[in-house]
Amino acid sequence: MTWWLLTFSRGGPASYLSHLDTARAVQRTFARAGVPIALSQGMRPKPRLSLPLPLPVGAAGYEELAVVEVPDGPPSPAAALRELRAAAPPGLRPLAIVVVGDQHPRPQALEARYACRLEGDAGAVRAAVERYATEVSVVRERVSPKGRRTLDLKEYVVHVAAEPVLGGTRLSFAIRYRDDGAARPQEFIDLIAAWAEVEPVMRGLERRRVIWRDLPPGPSPGAGRSVSS
Amino acid sequence: MYEIGISNPGLQILYAYLNDATPAAAERAYCPWPDMAALMRAYDVPLWTLETIDPVAGCDLWGFTLPHELTYTNVLEMLDLAGVPIHAAERGEGQPIVLGGGPAVADPWPLAPFFEAFFMGEVEHRLDEIVEALAAPSRALRLQALAAVPGMWLPGVSERPAQRQVFTAFSRTPPVLRPVVPVLEAVHDRAIVEVMRGCTAGCRFCQAGMWYRPVRERPVDLVVEAAERLLAETGCDEVSLLSLSSCDYSGIEEALTRIRALRPGVRVSLPSLRIDSAAEALGGFAADQRGSVTLAPEAGTQELRDAINKGVDDAQFEEAVRATFGGGFTGLKLYFMIGLPGETDADVAGIARMAATAVRLAKEIGRGRARLSVAVSSYVPKAHTPFQLEPFAGAAVLRHRQQLLRDAMPRHVRINFHDVAASLVEATLARGGPGSDRLVEEAWRRGARFDGWSEHFHFATWEGAAAATGIELGAAELRSDETLPWESAVDAVVTRGFLADEQARASRGELTDDCRDGSCAACGVCGSGVEMDVLP
Repeated sequence: MTWWLLTFSRGGPASYLSHLDTARAVQRTFARAGVPIALSQGMRPKPRLSLPLPLPVGAAGYEELAVVEVPDGPPSPAAALRELRAAAPPGLRPLAIVVVGDQHPRPQALEARYACRLEGDAGAVRAAVERYATEVSVVRERVSPKGRRTLDLKEYVVHVAAEPVLGGTRLSFAIRYRDDGAARPQEFIDLIAAWAEVEPVMRGLERRRVIWRDLPPGPSPGAGRSVSS
Repeated sequence: MYEIGISNPGLQILYAYLNDATPAAAERAYCPWPDMAALMRAYDVPLWTLETIDPVAGCDLWGFTLPHELTYTNVLEMLDLAGVPIHAAERGEGQPIVLGGGPAVADPWPLAPFFEAFFMGEVEHRLDEIVEALAAPSRALRLQALAAVPGMWLPGVSERPAQRQVFTAFSRTPPVLRPVVPVLEAVHDRAIVEVMRGCTAGCRFCQAGMWYRPVRERPVDLVVEAAERLLAETGCDEVSLLSLSSCDYSGIEEALTRIRALRPGVRVSLPSLRIDSAAEALGGFAADQRGSVTLAPEAGTQELRDAINKGVDDAQFEEAVRATFGGGFTGLKLYFMIGLPGETDADVAGIARMAATAVRLAKEIGRGRARLSVAVSSYVPKAHTPFQLEPFAGAAVLRHRQQLLRDAMPRHVRINFHDVAASLVEATLARGGPGSDRLVEEAWRRGARFDGWSEHFHFATWEGAAAATGIELGAAELRSDETLPWESAVDAVVTRGFLADEQARASRGELTDDCRDGSCAACGVCGSGVEMDVLP
């Protein structure tokens, strides 16, 4: 078996897909392209494809990653990429394929860079960002069907910046992924909006870059046996 | 609700034909869920089409597929969200002509004032004429041209009922080969090949069985070629062979075998299984598809099954259940109706006995791993069926029989009932006459939407609307010697005499043979170029 790391962008109408729907759309792109994916064993075989870092609904992703196991004798990555691009639905664009051995560790996200636009008083948003920088700890409670959990946003959200743009503020930040989890982009945006007393309505949330552990070197991502646009 | 709407194969047919074969550009819009509708109103955003994000109000023609009565308030909701006056009489030049179609137009009266026109029956072969009519230079001329299209009924304009249209070229026409493929999970997330249209089993409660006559089958080669093309075009790994009763499709075994051989991992599903042929059909399923099976005995005793012309006996039922659990399937769902004409408490007790038989076989054969559930719906008499004159059983009777079943049902069987109150509303609208539109409008004005969804159905809303309009819920006083309300709008081609004869046979417990077996029951459909078209 061979593993492929496929990078792709998600934008436009595809931004509104859920994580599972994005995975299904990528899988069906492979099927339409005639590029086989290896199946799991057992009574109900499933395609061996995963997206290691879910992208929030409504967010665009510049460089998303899919880990795909292909059966023996796969097409060349260059030919596959060509076919995948032709078969991809609007908003999903395959960017590059990196071939890795089956012993290679699966990539793990370390940090992701986000940006969005917040509407309202830019000065107030900038003040909220400055306040965040000076706080030692910003603890928030997360309520989910699994229960309640507190997390300190300062441990996860870094590199925060605010830049005034027409009608609002461009807010950029990075989220660190740790063994104990991560903050969600919306949690941080809600915090800044609350401190700035602006509506927590953001436009154009983008994940611009992800830093991975155990990713082979090369262009977007990886070199070696890779094909990219 | 895109996830549901995109799964409608009828809409895919219309969309593909209009865009591929006519000068028209067809776009789609679906009824938004109430939270979205509230936001659209708050921000003054009119309903738009998905393709070009243009306001729906700018279309020349707005076609609605009407699958069943509990979607009627959604029509008004969509018109209002689009900024289109809900009454046809208030619409003018520059506003869309609103056209209804689909199985629920079998009685168009509850929606009549909201539509300019209704199309009765299968529309594939009339789409060119409809598009051509839209080229007329004014709204009045467009309506005049539409009125001349066979199958079209214009409330207040048409002087005669419209004859239900039959797509006679069905068998030689390929299914939709380039459907819209949703990128999010639809409720029916698979490629669809319609293998057969119509059903001649003759179940007396079934409106679709009467409305889509006669049976027409597509050749197996056409079905397999379509399946292969659809798998490649959509990326799906499952093909559904669609019809009202796919086990009755003459080429079913060959089609199943050849489609499974197309490529590894392809799954084929059948939307419905007949009990008398389930054992054979179940044997053909691949090991990885052996999940849950649905069987529909419909009624609990032989007498009542004969009365509804279901014609399944206890031995066939046992054989089907044995085949289910013996074949490695882990779940069985049994589907029944209560409130059928002539039903007694003893018939309802029979449902529990059949469930008990299934439980016993599940223990014997399924070795404790098998799950069993029973779904019980309330029968609603429908227009153009042999039971069209029968009274609705009523809420009190239905609740009593639901309780009987709860008490008699074996333990460990999950039982689901349809909401009696929703059935009461459905029964009111299914045979509503002129004036029944007032109930729909009043309910919508009081907030009724998505009435087919239990979380959105509020009976108090409908009770209030009924009180305000003076319409009694569930009542339909129909007499056999009068013209029935829907008969003034639509000629379903199945004759009144045949339906009356079938009603009489039901009361005597007599079965009527499937006409594909050679015995014509003289339903009135065949003739004048319309014939049954089955594989040799």
